[in-house]
Amino acid sequence: MSESVIEFENVSKRFRIGATHDSLRDLASASLRAFFGRRKQKKGHEDFWALQDVDFHVRRGEVLGIIGPNGAGKSTVLKLLAGILRPDRGRIRVNGRLAALIEVGAGFHGDLTGRENIFLNGTILGMTRREIASKLDAIVAFAGLERFLDMPVKRYSSGMYARLGFSIAAHVEPDILLVDEVLSVGDAVFRLRCVERMRELVREGATLVFVTHDLDQMQKVCTRTVVLDRGKIAFEGRPTEAVGRYLAAVTGASTHRPTDGLLACDQHMVQLTNLSCRNAAGKVGMTIEANNPTKIEATLLLGVPVQRLVVEVNIRRALGELVVSLNSGRSQRFYSAGVGAHRIEINLPSFPLAGGQYFCNVRAWDADHGTTLLDTPFRYPLVVHDAGRATGLFCLEHEWSFCGEPHQKPAHETLKGVSPFFAGETHEGLPVR
Amino acid sequence: MTSLATTIRFADFSRFQQLLWSLTWRDVRIRYKQSVLGIAWAVLLPVSMMLVFTFVFTRALDAKLLLPTSMPYALYAYLGLVPWTFFSASLSGCVNSLVANRNLVTKVYFPREVFPLSSIGAAFVDFVIALVVLCGLIAYFDARSAWTFVAHRSLFFLPVVVCVQVMLTVGIGMMLAMANLFYRDVRQLYGVAIQLLMFVSAVVVPIPSDGSLLAQAISLNPLVPVINAYRDCVVKGCLPDPAPFIYSSLVAVVLMVGGWICFRRASYRFAECI
Repeated sequence: MSESVIEFENVSKRFRIGATHDSLRDLASASLRAFFGRRKQKKGHEDFWALQDVDFHVRRGEVLGIIGPNGAGKSTVLKLLAGILRPDRGRIRVNGRLAALIEVGAGFHGDLTGRENIFLNGTILGMTRREIASKLDAIVAFAGLERFLDMPVKRYSSGMYARLGFSIAAHVEPDILLVDEVLSVGDAVFRLRCVERMRELVREGATLVFVTHDLDQMQKVCTRTVVLDRGKIAFEGRPTEAVGRYLAAVTGASTHRPTDGLLACDQHMVQLTNLSCRNAAGKVGMTIEANNPTKIEATLLLGVPVQRLVVEVNIRRALGELVVSLNSGRSQRFYSAGVGAHRIEINLPSFPLAGGQYFCNVRAWDADHGTTLLDTPFRYPLVVHDAGRATGLFCLEHEWSFCGEPHQKPAHETLKGVSPFFAGETHEGLPVR
Repeated sequence: MTSLATTIRFADFSRFQQLLWSLTWRDVRIRYKQSVLGIAWAVLLPVSMMLVFTFVFTRALDAKLLLPTSMPYALYAYLGLVPWTFFSASLSGCVNSLVANRNLVTKVYFPREVFPLSSIGAAFVDFVIALVVLCGLIAYFDARSAWTFVAHRSLFFLPVVVCVQVMLTVGIGMMLAMANLFYRDVRQLYGVAIQLLMFVSAVVVPIPSDGSLLAQAISLNPLVPVINAYRDCVVKGCLPDPAPFIYSSLVAVVLMVGGWICFRRASYRFAECI
């Protein structure tokens, strides 16, 4: 086990809600009050513990992700690590040269040119001028701003601004790099390049602490993840597991008992009493193996009879778009249902979603009257396992085959039609010069 | 211990120096960006101030009566205005230095002293330029007026005078920067105080030495011996009066050490209170 480069031991941080003394007038009156012995009278002060007994260590070469809902204390952790804030309790030890990227281009000045800002921001992040001069070309190329180097940054677009900011920080070569939610800027290609650069830094022996809301990125980059919730550590461990805990914290939903918290609609006329999935072996739960036969079961408790009942189950990505909407009406299934509990089943011969965390909701309509009987929030979590076979949205059944000449015989014609994006990458069957 | 971690990061003195240099350079650069005359303003400002005061005190009022020496009033005024501008421009920069760099104070860690110090550094650049102009003015008055310039060894004492002034500025500047971070009233009060201070610091009019209560009160101002020392060293060719100058030096050392300690003590609260 390698040594700890960051020791964050039982750290608590308190903030005052409400300003203490905002002007000298307040201070004067407060000190007068204190002087005349009315010390107890504290008005408008309230303590807010942004962090309570947070304890973690980071070893050399690790990539620690910190996730959590807004206000969980993530940025406070980074600021404490960076030395910007001081803890009220506990102990922080940082061993090595640390660079914090808490805001891209924090030290940029709009009137200065890109080049001037590289030098300014570089020294702010802890590089020497000589170091910066030697890396200038790399920084500019990484940001892709060669043509705009001598333009004042106030004329930069926000994307250019952010790219330059990240590019400088990415070239600091610190022992420890703190990154706070900055990669949400820039386009997809740039983001990919940032992730690549972070991996490269780690290969070179750097330690990374990474705050993000982008769960995909977190899972790609991090080796370990801490989930913060309301100033406390809710979970610490493998990134994939952390995602579930994070989502639970964000949505307030529980992963384990999906039927918790019945949602009633229209004076309790329809209730969802159960929502679960059953695999081929008959095992019930909210965990699904991708591409296996699955049965989704929803139990509805009807308080009134419905002539033509339509049921819909929607599946949404954890923090994103709707992936699937299964609607009985669209399949021309209208159920005539009396008062009482009814189980509706959806049979899926295969479940082709990529592994990850999803959320479901259930809706029901009375097709005759066009009234909504039930519309639950997306609070029922669904976990799909795909054994690492897919990234993206789907886990499609597919097979690979290779048709072509084996190695060493150049086949120039295969180069035609290949996108230039792949030119220069090593592919078997393609000649590489 | 956090303090230990802080010290480790602190230890890199050359980094601090580079940062100070970068921020100073930024302040100088920004001041003259997008202006037609650019860095020429560093020369034009003190010279035009000199012309204003020369007009007021030689045409409108007669300051000759107050002047103890044969030195041309314009030179007297310029030699007061140059160190005064250095002092007041430094402090004006310091007062706002932390607040104006809020995004750095709350987003990046490094010793916070660089903010007021770089403001002083930027003012120092202008000060040096103004001193170069002084050489030209001396040559001009030497040729065009009854007064003649005699170079004297006392010129070598000038760096000591500058040093004392810098220490005084650092001490006051740090306290102002810190105070303004906690209470923005400081900036307003500073604006009034600096105006008042100019007229009791022998900048454009000599301090009356008639032993009145007012004169005695003014003599407590540590800036008076410093500004007079410039005239003594450069033009009069003598060393400054030792007693007041030593008094100023002591005050400067005390203010600088005290100001720096207070600043350091409070600096860990800057990011929260700004």
